[in-house]
Amino acid sequence: MAENKLQLSIVTPERFVLNEDVDQVNVPGVEGDLGILYDHAPILTTIRAGRFSYELLGEKGRETIQMIVSGGYLEVTDNRVIVLAEAVEFLDEVDNDRARASLAKAEEALAKTDLSDDEFAEAQDRLFRAIARLEPTQMD
Amino acid sequence: MPNLRDIKRRIKSVKNTQQITKAMKLVSASKLRKAQEAIMSARPYALKLMDVLHHLSARCNHDVHPLLDNRDGKRWLILLVTADRGLCGGFNGNITKKAIQVINDNSDKEIQLITAGKKGHASFKNKENKILHDHSGWTRDFDYLKAAEIGSTLSALFSEKSIDRVYVLYNEFKSVMQQEVILEQLLPIVPEKLVAGKESMSSVDYIYEPEEEAILNTLLERYMTVEVYRAFLESSASEHGARMTAMDSATRNAGEMIGGLTLTYNKARQAYITKELIEIVNGAEALKA
Repeated sequence: MAENKLQLSIVTPERFVLNEDVDQVNVPGVEGDLGILYDHAPILTTIRAGRFSYELLGEKGRETIQMIVSGGYLEVTDNRVIVLAEAVEFLDEVDNDRARASLAKAEEALAKTDLSDDEFAEAQDRLFRAIARLEPTQMD
Repeated sequence: MPNLRDIKRRIKSVKNTQQITKAMKLVSASKLRKAQEAIMSARPYALKLMDVLHHLSARCNHDVHPLLDNRDGKRWLILLVTADRGLCGGFNGNITKKAIQVINDNSDKEIQLITAGKKGHASFKNKENKILHDHSGWTRDFDYLKAAEIGSTLSALFSEKSIDRVYVLYNEFKSVMQQEVILEQLLPIVPEKLVAGKESMSSVDYIYEPEEEAILNTLLERYMTVEVYRAFLESSASEHGARMTAMDSATRNAGEMIGGLTLTYNKARQAYITKELIEIVNGAEALKA
């Protein structure tokens, strides 16, 4: 059933990750999370580092596939969803120890008071990414 | 008549060389496949990014961003992308020649260089053009992060107005046998290039989050990185292609040389045997008489 589906493509500079028909896309936008459904208005947004997922309605019910993106853009036109991400990791690729180490590092950096704006933004970005990586495992 | 042992030694040494060139050819072939894959998978991202830039820049005021500032200055910067290693035909030579030509044609400009690859660095380190940075050894494990580093260095230099124009000079991968030296203007980003084609897209009414200018700002920086990344990937695919072709012909030439030498060797051996026979026969005749 190809009708009422969104055509989702995800590309990163290093690979063409995926091109698939899906029912819903959930994106961490810079100004808040977005859920994209069929017939969404055209939109162009910047996405922050975080958890990204898309949902498929199959015969066995709803299936959700999750992954981690680290920043990029999202464009929706005519039910085509294009994600331009810096990097994408599927959940099972996540290295927990590394994520935890990076979380600690980010918190340490943010605890300092003499950060410049750029340094702050970078540390915050790192924190978002680390949290996004760790979140799902804590929920399980 | 050349010495038999000398010829034999010569054949052996050419055979060794042939073995090396053959191995290098095979290595290049497999590296080429990887490099080709990398550039193929980088292209969709670059294309889509361009698409987004197209309809964004059609709606925005071009004077707002420092990277679009088209000023007439005489301080130019060339990012010269070469290989770290030689033995790849005219690959490095062509690009250096082109760089020298550009420098000579624009002698009224102050041209500085950023080199990537040992070969480019070696050809310019004793010249008067100042080398700002040297990224020798980067071409082997090049990834997006390194491109981002170069990209942000370039945009920083340009934004603080210590450089007025940035070019990138690299070998574009046309096919395995063919590379083309390309000189491309990186900064200031040319709006015409961004807007060309694609008028129809700008008519779609988008929701922007955050507003257009903010997206454009981040997008332009990313565009820089992607361009640098692409130049490096093109260059690396070209390098392996060039090396493969060069090593292929070297292997063939070595084969021809071995053929020639073997012929001389056999002739010399035959002559030697004949001479020996005659001596024996003569000796026997002398005894009989």
